[in-house]
Amino acid sequence: MGLFDKLAAWLGLKKEVNVLCLGLDNSGKTTIINQLKPANAQAQDIVPTIGFSIEKFKTSSLSFTVFDMSGQGRYRNLWEHYYKEGQAIIFVIDSVDKLRMVVAKEELDTLLNHPDIKHRRIPILFFANKMDVRDALSSVKVSQLLCLANIKDKPWHICATDALKGEGLQEGVDWLQDQIKTMRT
Amino acid sequence: MSESSLLDLPSGLVAFFMDLHEPRIPAVAVASGPCVYVYKNLRPYFKFTLPGLRVNTLEQDVWRQVREGQIDPLTLKEMLESVRKTADVPLSVRSLRFLSLDPDDMDDFVQLHKQQPIRRQTVITCIGTLKKSTADEDGVSCLVIGTESCDVFVLDPEAFIILSTMSLPAPPTMMDVTGQFDVEFRITVACRNGNIYILRRESEKPKYCIELSSHPVGLVRVGKNVVVGCADESLQGFTQKGKKLWTVLLPAPITTMASMELPTRGLQAVLVGLANCEVQLYRDKSLLSSIKTPEVVSSICFGRYGREDGTLIMTTKDGGLIVNILKRTASFEDRAAAAGPPLAQSVRLNVPKKTKLYVDQTLRERESGAAMHRAFQMDLSRLRLAAAGAYVKALESSLTPMSCRLSEPLKMNAVVQGLGPAFKLTLNVQNTAACRPVANLAVSFLYDESLYRMRTPYMRIPLLVPGVVYPVETFVECSSDKGISDIIKVFVLQEGSSAPLLSAHINMPVSEGLTIN
Repeated sequence: MGLFDKLAAWLGLKKEVNVLCLGLDNSGKTTIINQLKPANAQAQDIVPTIGFSIEKFKTSSLSFTVFDMSGQGRYRNLWEHYYKEGQAIIFVIDSVDKLRMVVAKEELDTLLNHPDIKHRRIPILFFANKMDVRDALSSVKVSQLLCLANIKDKPWHICATDALKGEGLQEGVDWLQDQIKTMRT
Repeated sequence: MSESSLLDLPSGLVAFFMDLHEPRIPAVAVASGPCVYVYKNLRPYFKFTLPGLRVNTLEQDVWRQVREGQIDPLTLKEMLESVRKTADVPLSVRSLRFLSLDPDDMDDFVQLHKQQPIRRQTVITCIGTLKKSTADEDGVSCLVIGTESCDVFVLDPEAFIILSTMSLPAPPTMMDVTGQFDVEFRITVACRNGNIYILRRESEKPKYCIELSSHPVGLVRVGKNVVVGCADESLQGFTQKGKKLWTVLLPAPITTMASMELPTRGLQAVLVGLANCEVQLYRDKSLLSSIKTPEVVSSICFGRYGREDGTLIMTTKDGGLIVNILKRTASFEDRAAAAGPPLAQSVRLNVPKKTKLYVDQTLRERESGAAMHRAFQMDLSRLRLAAAGAYVKALESSLTPMSCRLSEPLKMNAVVQGLGPAFKLTLNVQNTAACRPVANLAVSFLYDESLYRMRTPYMRIPLLVPGVVYPVETFVECSSDKGISDIIKVFVLQEGSSAPLLSAHINMPVSEGLTIN
């Protein structure tokens, strides 16, 4: 950590990072972001996002600005307009929806092949969400179905999560924070 | 999972909203035999049975006599046979079954059934739904039933009474229903006689009829048009009034058809399952896409499944189920743009306005067409006569380079070489007879002596052997320096005759030699 960063940390000014939160509709993006916010700012009811919403939360060393994109089919073409600004990506997967795993893979492939993403070493955090549901796929199975092993030029990490209880989220966010810090230094 | 067994083979299945209760859960109607079974929340809810048909009174009388013990089964059989042959109302299923039995089984059959009254039932052949009064997606719908007795019934969704009855000339096999019962509706029915009938509100008989060249195997409505798949491997489009719009030939027989509508992208197309393990997507007559399937597809359904709007579900002949989800980025472009008429055909030509002269002329032509034709034919005949007369005259006076005389058939052509003032004149003379030589011929030239000088104005021709071309050469010198030219006439003569055998006119070229000097 550089001298300026140290100083900034001491002053309570944290580095800002823009994160895109993507994934199919009903995968739990808004719920995850809601869980990461401080307890007093959390919303009670989660409704399907229209367009996108911007949320902010802080971790020990970073200040996150999250673009919580809507996952509905008709809004997915908005995603690519924010790829340039994003310094990290959170991709949320509904581990219960086996039928639409192909759709998730299709969207992920489109994302990875986009010119704004393709040649950047941008960290991608996968949340295999809804682990609390009985016949949810394991995170290993999800990563197999999405062929995550084929991503060679970007750091990625997959976490099994239950966004309703907040399980597994912190592990993922810690990984993301480390990745962003190593990117900067 | 829940399983309910049916008494008979199902002939159709539809999902529909039968009431306005919340939460909105659709009911499932299964047509089987003469009944419609309605299921709600995976449980049987209601059973509707079609009303019985009129029973033959003679048949009824015969069975009454059996019941009273007046006649034995063999007499019954004879009487039923005679009723079957003469009556206009067909026999009931029970009598028909009885007639097909062996004599040994007849007694038992009669004992078992004689107490029950005779009924004649029809069966359902196809089923559809029709919105009652609103066009909403979750509006209450009526069931529309086609029967073997050539009727179409519309049932009330709540009370299950028959709201409307329409009759067709033949048993229906497939139907498509659109509109609302209370407003205006249209039922398109494909029938077993190979025709398609279009029924409308307040008409008991079909309004329009489409007579197909081949039997229909699939019927899909796209917007206001009807797309019919035929047994002769063709796909045909019709307007809602039965006017044929187009025909596409398919690579294989059709197994199933379904419509594919994506209102968000403005796509209305038809999915056609083919016997060569392919599913093709057509927008009007242009092929948009095709999917290869591992097996022959037996039924297709496209629509919303779960959270995906564009889901294609197919069942295969061997009992497989295939689910395809439409890509978000899919684009439906015509693959073969050249298939239709060429683009130039639709470009409007800049046709000038009709002039007054043109209009007058066409009017005149229309009024006195016959007289004009006669006058033209007369002139044409005269022209032909004049041409023939001139030709005969030319032949008679040997003005042609071809001799028509049988004794000396000759042909000649002339070639002029040189720029001038000296020219070389070559006459190619040929005897065209089969085997007879010609002898004693001479060539003479006639020319303007002030213009030309000729070395040998008279020449003898040797004996002409048939078929061989004899070149006869001579030299001409132009003596004028005014750059003018003239005609030299050539005559082929026979000794002892003053009329030439043939003659030729040679157009001499302008002499360039003297003008240079």
